Amino acid sequence: MRIFQKSPALRWAVPGVTAVALVAGGSAIQGIHAIADTGLPARSAAQLLVDVQQARLNGLSGTVVQKSDLGLPSLPSVGNSGGVASSDLTSMMAGTHTMRVWFAGPDKARTALLGTLGESDVIRNGQDLWVWASQAKTATHYALPADATAGKSTTPAGTPGPTIVATSPQAAADQALAGISPSTEVTTSGTATVAGRSAYELVLRPKDAASLVAQVRVAIDGTEHVPLRVQVFAKSVADPVLEVGFSAVDFTRPDAAQFAFNPPPGTTVTQAKTPTAPRTAAGSKSTTVAPKTKSADVPKVIGKGWGSVVVVTMPSPTAAASAATSGTTDMTMAQLMKYVSLLPKVSGSWGSGHLMAGTVFSALLTDDGRLVVGAVTPEGLYGALAAK
Amino acid sequence: MSAADLTPGLRTGLSTGVPTSPVARPLRHISTRFLRSELALIFGRRRNQAGLGILALVPIMIAVTVKVSTPRAGRGPDFFTSITSNGLFVALAALSIELTLFLPLAVAVIAGDSVAGEANIGTLRYLLTVPVHRSRLLGVKFAAITIFSLVVTVWVSLVGAVAGLALFGGGQMTTLSGTEIGMGSAVLRVLMATIYLGLCFASLGAIGLFISTMTEQPIGATIAVVVINVMSFILDSIPQLSWMHEWLPTHWWMSFGDFLRSPVAWSDVTRGLLTSAGYMLVFWLAAWARFSDKDVSG
Repeated sequence: MRIFQKSPALRWAVPGVTAVALVAGGSAIQGIHAIADTGLPARSAAQLLVDVQQARLNGLSGTVVQKSDLGLPSLPSVGNSGGVASSDLTSMMAGTHTMRVWFAGPDKARTALLGTLGESDVIRNGQDLWVWASQAKTATHYALPADATAGKSTTPAGTPGPTIVATSPQAAADQALAGISPSTEVTTSGTATVAGRSAYELVLRPKDAASLVAQVRVAIDGTEHVPLRVQVFAKSVADPVLEVGFSAVDFTRPDAAQFAFNPPPGTTVTQAKTPTAPRTAAGSKSTTVAPKTKSADVPKVIGKGWGSVVVVTMPSPTAAASAATSGTTDMTMAQLMKYVSLLPKVSGSWGSGHLMAGTVFSALLTDDGRLVVGAVTPEGLYGALAAK
Repeated sequence: MSAADLTPGLRTGLSTGVPTSPVARPLRHISTRFLRSELALIFGRRRNQAGLGILALVPIMIAVTVKVSTPRAGRGPDFFTSITSNGLFVALAALSIELTLFLPLAVAVIAGDSVAGEANIGTLRYLLTVPVHRSRLLGVKFAAITIFSLVVTVWVSLVGAVAGLALFGGGQMTTLSGTEIGMGSAVLRVLMATIYLGLCFASLGAIGLFISTMTEQPIGATIAVVVINVMSFILDSIPQLSWMHEWLPTHWWMSFGDFLRSPVAWSDVTRGLLTSAGYMLVFWLAAWARFSDKDVSG
């Protein structure tokens, strides 16, 4: 072309412009969940809540992306070193995770947590519940009681290991909606586009000043009335600290073959006892963050609504630290205590302890072995301790 | 036989072929002659053949090691524990080990050598006397890099598959999702994963082609490509830089495992292919911008 012969420097514009166009185009395609006029008729918050309650799904399949930035210092055993995504079900506390979900009625559901070259599946088919881990090649089978009320969530609540945060938009929305009380201001804020679908947005704002949560936004599908995305915003940061949402969704009923699971040869198969009552979201979503409550007393909830604080009595830290005798639980406990001792030390009229201040919750381990957790500021925790 | 004494012969063959056809003749069909000469040059070189041999050692080593001592479940690198159940996993294990350095290095050597190598030994001058447009020359160079990238990846995979099947046998393959697929389907999926990776490495090759037009030192270009590869992996592992991860050339490489899920997870693989295509396009154009008016003294 003549123009390039006249001014050869212009050639460089060709790759430059191409690169800019590709990056801009790529970002635009990903950024379509920005607020857009989706042409949905206006709907009040109450109507939306009813819609969600009445939504009955025939089936769906899709990809769910969960992002969390809870402001936690990364635990050596929990935080994966970026890049490589872990498919371990307990790794859900930090980073970005991708799940594929299939749902065909309450008794047919499958969630696959995708890791780099690995996968963990939770498959429910009728009364059978399978948990598969590709990296360890283990399969655990749970026989559910025949009258088991079908869990509302696509993720079985009774799975082993801490299901730290809700793993499906449906479950996350249920949790968020359960907290609605006079303590919350519920509004709608127009519409949004999630996974290419038009959706309403429900905004929940805590009224409690001590709460660290600024707002919870729930995007609800315009036609299917299913929650497509839940975002939790903290007061301290602009980006959502927790986001669970579909990146792709299809509301056709998936094939029955998706829910069939037979442990492949070479798999360590464990026959587990029927899970006991699924962990209810007793306190609030923050209770789930409490590590190892099994040997502790019954958690006590102080306060109400968004300002509620959970107090758990832990096994004595010194005893646990010195009891590095046998058993892996003791070992991990000792490791945990070592880690806790690195956290900033705080003290007040309530005593002293170590504080972990995240973006949406604070946790305090007092020196006398009480663990206090809540979606409130550290001052809120001290207040709860002092009031006790 | 070194590259230097092999090259003139081939190039002479090329240039003697040209005068028989009038230069001004409109091109009826795209001649593959130039590309064939380029490929003969790449695969004819002793050092490249030796490189292919070394790359093949990895899958053989994996197969033998696993045969001698079977790793316990949950231990060892990815795919290793599955090898005993199906030999095809040797191919995947080899790819996952070689994808961080060995295979990118092989592509970097070829790409770095593509233009700078010819400039270095003085053959680029002769090549440019052939009435072939410089854009076409770059097109052929890049096609040869892409073919090499695919061949070398398939080669590693093939050696792994053969070694694995010989030592452990085939049969049903367990996917990452815990389902079983038949042998035919398994071979197809491993092949798809291999070709996917081959195309990913070719995008690195495009970067190499561009760098190769900037210098007359092939080793410098190769080192630069390897540095970019390693840098990309490092940046990809820094969580604070998560905003740029999806744009990194190496970010989607590990997604080759998605072919082994049930059903195949296409989204990341598609992103990976699009990213690779983007890098190829931009860096080929950059190479074109650099090379079209480059003063070749040789």
